[in-house]
Amino acid sequence: MSIEALNISKRFGQFAALEGVNLEINRGELVALLGPSGSGKTTLLRVIAGLEFPDSGTIRFNGKDISDRTARERQVGFVFQHYALFRHMTVFENIAFGLKVRPRSSRPSREKIRAKVQELLRLIQLETLAQRYPSQLSGGQRQRVALARALAVEPSVLLLDEPFGALDAKVRLELRRWLRQLHDEIHITSVFVTHDQEEALEVADRVVVMNQGRIEQVGAPDEVYNHPASPFVYNFLGNVNLFHGRVDDGKTYIQETATGQVLYVRPHLLEIARLPNGGSHFRARIKQINSAGPLVKVEAIAEWGDSVRVEMPQERFQNLQLVKNEEVFIIPKDVKVFAKREPA
Amino acid sequence: MATTFTIRNLGLPVSRRAAAATSEQAWIRWLLIGTAVVFLAVFLFMPLAVVFTSALAKGVSVYFSALREPDALAAIRLTLIAAGIAVPLNLVFGIAAAWAIGKFDFFGKSFLTTLIDLPFSVSPVVSGLIYVLIFGLQGLLGPWLAAHDIKVIFAVPGIVLATTFVTFPFIARELIPLVEAQGNEEEEAALTLGASGWQTFYRVTLPNIKWGLLYGVILCNARAMGEFGAVSVVSGHIRGRTNTMPLHIEILYNEYQFAPAFAVASLLALLALATLFAKTAVEWKSRQHAKELARMGEAA
Repeated sequence: MSIEALNISKRFGQFAALEGVNLEINRGELVALLGPSGSGKTTLLRVIAGLEFPDSGTIRFNGKDISDRTARERQVGFVFQHYALFRHMTVFENIAFGLKVRPRSSRPSREKIRAKVQELLRLIQLETLAQRYPSQLSGGQRQRVALARALAVEPSVLLLDEPFGALDAKVRLELRRWLRQLHDEIHITSVFVTHDQEEALEVADRVVVMNQGRIEQVGAPDEVYNHPASPFVYNFLGNVNLFHGRVDDGKTYIQETATGQVLYVRPHLLEIARLPNGGSHFRARIKQINSAGPLVKVEAIAEWGDSVRVEMPQERFQNLQLVKNEEVFIIPKDVKVFAKREPA
Repeated sequence: MATTFTIRNLGLPVSRRAAAATSEQAWIRWLLIGTAVVFLAVFLFMPLAVVFTSALAKGVSVYFSALREPDALAAIRLTLIAAGIAVPLNLVFGIAAAWAIGKFDFFGKSFLTTLIDLPFSVSPVVSGLIYVLIFGLQGLLGPWLAAHDIKVIFAVPGIVLATTFVTFPFIARELIPLVEAQGNEEEEAALTLGASGWQTFYRVTLPNIKWGLLYGVILCNARAMGEFGAVSVVSGHIRGRTNTMPLHIEILYNEYQFAPAFAVASLLALLALATLFAKTAVEWKSRQHAKELARMGEAA
């Protein structure tokens, strides 16, 4: 099912959570709503679900205006950040809930419900834990039960609010790959909210970057990462160094504040060398080296006194044999220029 | 092992070793505990013992005949009727109030919370008087009620009203913090899964608050049966007609019929003991429930 949000605005008291948001989600897509806290991403998700009603704007499912329908009538699957499992029910009862509360006329038979729950338990690989209570499960298991519960009613849309937010790093990684796989199998139109850019870029077909109640950019992961539409997007999707300066004829001029332009360079797009290469470069002194992990992170002090972050592969680091307090040259490989400085 | 060794080296006597940073020296502990025990003995256990010994002072036959007396039976019946109406009413009001206050934000919420506490802060006698001033013969609605031959004051409806008013906060107070702490997520989940409002309440909200609810009902019932002040004002003390148990006890006592007075009083005392027992059982059960869940949670 396709989803359209047209000109959605929502205020909470003085706080504008959403301001004129327009978004189109295609049938079968897996879309991430990405943004910092307070950017309105969760509010937008809840508006789509019918758990929140916008002050103005329209929500359409398959082109049909459903703005006035309640959450119950919209028949979406919703997965909550803190799972919201029914604590007094077993895993089995939790998953069966949506089918059991149906009016008698459309309620499946006992056997059918049982079969459906068993099928979902297989899908989430928790067949042996059907009689456990939510409090007896780990965070990752609970989240999978929450997902199965949402899928049991066969919704046409699956909405997930920070689905992996409360889990530890390792389980997170596992579960998000599993979600991607699951989506490839069942192709249900899905929207998930996250503040983790890595998660959004890895899992989603398209990423919607939000900031202060507005959409900054919508695009495929590589598109938003490589061609950010605004300084905010560039900043939010990875670590970044900011320089005042300008770019003319492919030549970068740094430390020219009068231009009003800001140069953005990702740490891995700065190169450290012992000798200048004739192109753009500046001098810096190595302050800190952290070589734990696949990338070596170097902090250097530029000649004008600002701190600069550089990342390089271990191999390059071994070749250079950098030491602390050494004077080096830093060469920007790719620079992105935006007109005005926005808050980082 | 290491700890013991260090302490021996310090040469400190074992008794002076504090079990924890917050515990006091032995003599202070015994002083505090002793004070508490003496206080409980004088103000709780002795009166309780007096009630039962006085009740049985003239023998078992006097005791039972005092309870079988028609006026006593009428008082017991009326007390049961008043509690039997007031408690279910407050059950509904309490759940409704807790639901509204715990789950929603609205203008005047803190004012409403204060209103719910009003029966606690107003003297019961005043509560009774309010009803006399409204429904009494000289009261606001008095002439109209008299014209339609409806008796509220000095009759059962007045007693039920006064009891309901005085015991109103018990269930609501018990439930509000509980409902607030649980938030809305489970209800929202139920709604997205297609449950109706009633199904959500019955299958999700109610099971989550059942222990708190039971606890509130027990307290509410105890107070409803024991209420004296407000009921005393509206009842008119008509023997066999508008006397509840506490009022009946007062009348007997004022007539120097000590043994029968204490006999009926012992029934209320037994009710109090039963209430305490039920309350403890419910507390134990709900704590056990929570502990069980926590333990199983750790194991998983």
